[in-house]
Amino acid sequence: MKILMIALQILFIHVFLYLGAGVKALLGISIPASMIGLFLLFIALCLKIVKIEWVEKGAGWLIAELLLFFVPSAVGIINYDDIFSLQGLETILLIGVSTFIVMGTTAFVADKIFKRKDRETA
Amino acid sequence: MIYAAMICMTCILYFVSKKLYKKYPIFLLHPLLLCPILIIAVILPFHVSANQYMSGAAFLTHLLGPATVAFAIPIYKHLPVIKKNMSIILISVTTGTLVAIMSSFALSIAFQLNSNFLISVLPRSITTPIAIEVSKDIGGLPTLTTIFVIFTGIIGGIIGPHVIKVLSIKSPLAKGLALGMSAHGVGTNKAREYGEQEATFSTLAMIFAAFITMIWAKSLIPALIHLTSI
Repeated sequence: MKILMIALQILFIHVFLYLGAGVKALLGISIPASMIGLFLLFIALCLKIVKIEWVEKGAGWLIAELLLFFVPSAVGIINYDDIFSLQGLETILLIGVSTFIVMGTTAFVADKIFKRKDRETA
Repeated sequence: MIYAAMICMTCILYFVSKKLYKKYPIFLLHPLLLCPILIIAVILPFHVSANQYMSGAAFLTHLLGPATVAFAIPIYKHLPVIKKNMSIILISVTTGTLVAIMSSFALSIAFQLNSNFLISVLPRSITTPIAIEVSKDIGGLPTLTTIFVIFTGIIGGIIGPHVIKVLSIKSPLAKGLALGMSAHGVGTNKAREYGEQEATFSTLAMIFAAFITMIWAKSLIPALIHLTSI
């Protein structure tokens, strides 16, 4: 029963994905259909056209199992011989260093502003 | 038939990997490392190529679309918190996207990566569906970008808790924003382990990072690429 509910809600979420694709085709913009769909569903929730109970369980499952949807693309890595070269190794090192810097800076900036705001309101 | 088999196998191996990683959280057992390795180990003896496997399991990749749409729900639920912290979110995520693009660019130059790698690595810190669009937009290879996005996620998910500890970040807001900004959906997945607030801010960072990077794709990135061709 619970699985059926989740499946139905995911089906319903697809309506917004395809609405997003329609808007994208109509306006000819390079924003991904899923991003436009996100925006449309958000508006529909705000305007109470869609009740949160209609989508909450399906959306919760999709978000919780997000890693699963990356798995097939991750298997595709073996198609890329380039990755197993020096350039590939360097790129992975680059990604590690850069991700570390991005995470550190973002956390630092957010924390600093947060603390300052905290003091102002206190 | 082959579709059902590929999807079933992926789901089973994924849930096994997930369980294992929950019990033994060491990076080699990360579901995005272990599960693809297990799948490759299963398909190779059956002479199934990676491409055949990927077209069989395409439905799972397709679900990234509705999963992106689904992020409307946490945003809607946490609207008051977002409104209250809008300036922090915008400032830190804008900084994050700039640092992500600039550091990837600078390191690519330092490592003398070829232009395919250099361009494809620039949108690596945002969520896959949008990274693919940005990659096409700036002249990169979408498949290569997807791989870099996945590596970013794995690395971010692994180093995230250490960075948070070392920098002694206490606020759920900063933790969430840092994870979502640096490691998109995989970071958000990690943020869920901290709590609902962290997960929400991580989701927001992920979405804003994607939007802001789309703007950089039309301005900053072409300028950087132009620099390399002089």
